Amino acid sequence: MEAGSAKWQRNLFIASFIIPTFVFFCIFTIYPVAKGLYYSMFDWSGMAQTKDFIGLDNFKEMFKDPIVWRSIGNDYFLVVGKIVGIMVIATFFAVALTRFNFKMAGFFRSIFFIPNVISVVVIGVLWNFIYNPQIGFLNAFLSLFTDEKVTITWLGFTNHTIWMLLPPAIWAGIGFYMILLIAAIQNIPASYYEAADLEGATQWRQFWSITVPLIWEQMKVSILNIMMTTLNGSFVIVWIMTEGGPDNSTQVMGSYLYQMAFRQYHFGFGAAIGVLILVLSLITTVVLQRLLRHETVELS
Amino acid sequence: MMNKKKYAAMGAAVLLASVSLAGCGSKDNNSNNTASTNNASTNNASTNNGGSTNATNDGSTNGGTNATTPDTPKLTGDFEVQYFVGGYGDKWWTKVIADFQAANPDLHVKALGGPKINEQNKPRWIGGNPPDFVYIDGPELNDRQMVEDGQLEDLTDWIKDAKNVDGDKILDMLAQQPQQFDGKIYNIPLVLNSWGIFWNKALFKEKGWQEPQDFQQFLDVSDKIKAAGTTPFIHTGKYPYYINGAFLYPAIVSANNGDYTVLQDMAANKVEAFESDAVKTALGKIVTLRDKGFIDKASIQINHTDSQMLFLQNKDAFIPNGLWLPNEMSKDIPQGFDFGFIPSITQDAGQKIVANTSTATVAIAKNAKNKDAAHAFLQFVFSKAQASQWAELSGAPSNIKGDISASNAPSFVKDAAKYLTDPNTIVIPTITFNADVDKAMQDATDALTIGKIDPAGWVKRVTDVVKKVAK
Repeated sequence: MEAGSAKWQRNLFIASFIIPTFVFFCIFTIYPVAKGLYYSMFDWSGMAQTKDFIGLDNFKEMFKDPIVWRSIGNDYFLVVGKIVGIMVIATFFAVALTRFNFKMAGFFRSIFFIPNVISVVVIGVLWNFIYNPQIGFLNAFLSLFTDEKVTITWLGFTNHTIWMLLPPAIWAGIGFYMILLIAAIQNIPASYYEAADLEGATQWRQFWSITVPLIWEQMKVSILNIMMTTLNGSFVIVWIMTEGGPDNSTQVMGSYLYQMAFRQYHFGFGAAIGVLILVLSLITTVVLQRLLRHETVELS
Repeated sequence: MMNKKKYAAMGAAVLLASVSLAGCGSKDNNSNNTASTNNASTNNASTNNGGSTNATNDGSTNGGTNATTPDTPKLTGDFEVQYFVGGYGDKWWTKVIADFQAANPDLHVKALGGPKINEQNKPRWIGGNPPDFVYIDGPELNDRQMVEDGQLEDLTDWIKDAKNVDGDKILDMLAQQPQQFDGKIYNIPLVLNSWGIFWNKALFKEKGWQEPQDFQQFLDVSDKIKAAGTTPFIHTGKYPYYINGAFLYPAIVSANNGDYTVLQDMAANKVEAFESDAVKTALGKIVTLRDKGFIDKASIQINHTDSQMLFLQNKDAFIPNGLWLPNEMSKDIPQGFDFGFIPSITQDAGQKIVANTSTATVAIAKNAKNKDAAHAFLQFVFSKAQASQWAELSGAPSNIKGDISASNAPSFVKDAAKYLTDPNTIVIPTITFNADVDKAMQDATDALTIGKIDPAGWVKRVTDVVKKVAK
């Protein structure tokens, strides 16, 4: 009797955590996703009281739309660019600030983290000023080395403006992942490196054979997180800096969703793009997890 | 600064009065959607001060008296007004709603205003529970889309004979007539503005540059400007509707011998209108600017504020914009800067100047619960007293004709008034394009300015979208 009561109390205790969480999850995740799927099958302006059911026509239309394909390409360009850029620089800083003891490490750690406490909107505006062809910092800096004033329109070339969105996106992300990797590196026992030193291993050797394997879980999480936040969140930096232009050259799925749903009054089509983002995010997560699968190294 | 704003408001009012005559300029163009109108009514509007004098002195009393005349049922219940707060502020809305409330004490008027009100109230429109009265301005509200969505009350029959609280026929009061959608009227222009080209008169005087009156003069002076080391022309590439509204559309009308029905045909998604020689000729003028190196390369990536700042710094000589520009940049205008304005620079020598107007409108929700109050409010806002108040409190031209002169207007408003009152000016009534077509035109114009496509490419791109939309 007592055992049953204890079991019941335990179950009640577990349920008191699980059920509210599940309810919130259903309300704030499952329901919007289901609603988005539902809207994607309608021809709806987003303002009218009536919606016309059109089945999968929005999806058919979507795949015929060249801007959708360009948006997908731009999204994955940013995913790859950000993963490479952020991981290389964040790892570099994390190692530099932990493995090489110097007095200013705390200062630099704070400095590199600053972009993370700034709103992405502010970062976008800031970099718009940096890229301004007439009064921007970048052209002013380059002009120091040239006879004539440099007036490059950094965000004005339809072929490569998307490249210009990488630096602010990377700059904005480094700090967070740097802190994550610093925490992981600091958990590695110093004795591992001491033993490696005694064995005569170089710093590079120590990095590849000790640091990377032991922080791989954190690196994997970082890569997955960069991928997901990019596919779902590039909208902000794109919208602030270029609004998908010029001539749709920097359109990503999120910005095109917004453009179609709220500027061109095709809410159903926008919802279909939302479904596309969901599906691509899921597929990419699965693929990346498989690619990044690595034997876990346990610290003793 | 206060005086400056006051003068701007008064100047805008002068402009209003003058636009009534401008409507005559467009009358010759045989449009179904005519920009008005009626000399008799114009004269009445400017000379009949009967109702408006009292209203100016005591708008609320006058409004109240008229709004609740014995033969009019007393207004009761709730009445909701949705208004977007943007560049024109909300002082006028606050005042007019307070006046209307005072005039109708048994009515409970609710003001739903703010810069995000269009988004905030969207669920109500979708749910069939919209506010009774709406001011269509700002993002996420498009009059054409609202009409297509069946959200607006058909005002066609009502407006034909509707009179304002002063007893004046509303249609006769309007400088800019309502846009028609398939021959029907759903919304009425409240604010009137004009697109055009600005320059700095002081700079031109100092440099000895001639202020252009036609396209050839514009090209000639631009050659001199460029030779002097200044970029002749900057626009807002991030929002290409500026160059479309102030340069391309007037150019299309000029190339169509002053007949603006070509634009109305474009708005009606008629493919042949986009393929007309007028459109190609107009696009060729953008190509001329591009190929002569007159367009500031920075244009393609910057927004309106950045382009306006560069213009105010005299880094660029001409900018396509709307009459709101000086008010919008009032805090950043350098000492001695003197705005010159012409509604269009794309006409050939001897051709009429073309003024492409820009309006913000008001409408009644089809599902409004208090339509009587909504109609009464329309009658209330389209009075001379409210026109005067609008000019004073928003610093922008209203669409209501009336002599509220006192001409200490800024010079650019006088310039605008001079052009708009000239019988040689063609006034294009405000036209709203389908959102997809509009976006396609904007993208294509940007692409044209940077040499990515040619005029044929522009037409091909846009007509592809038009065909899709027209299906």
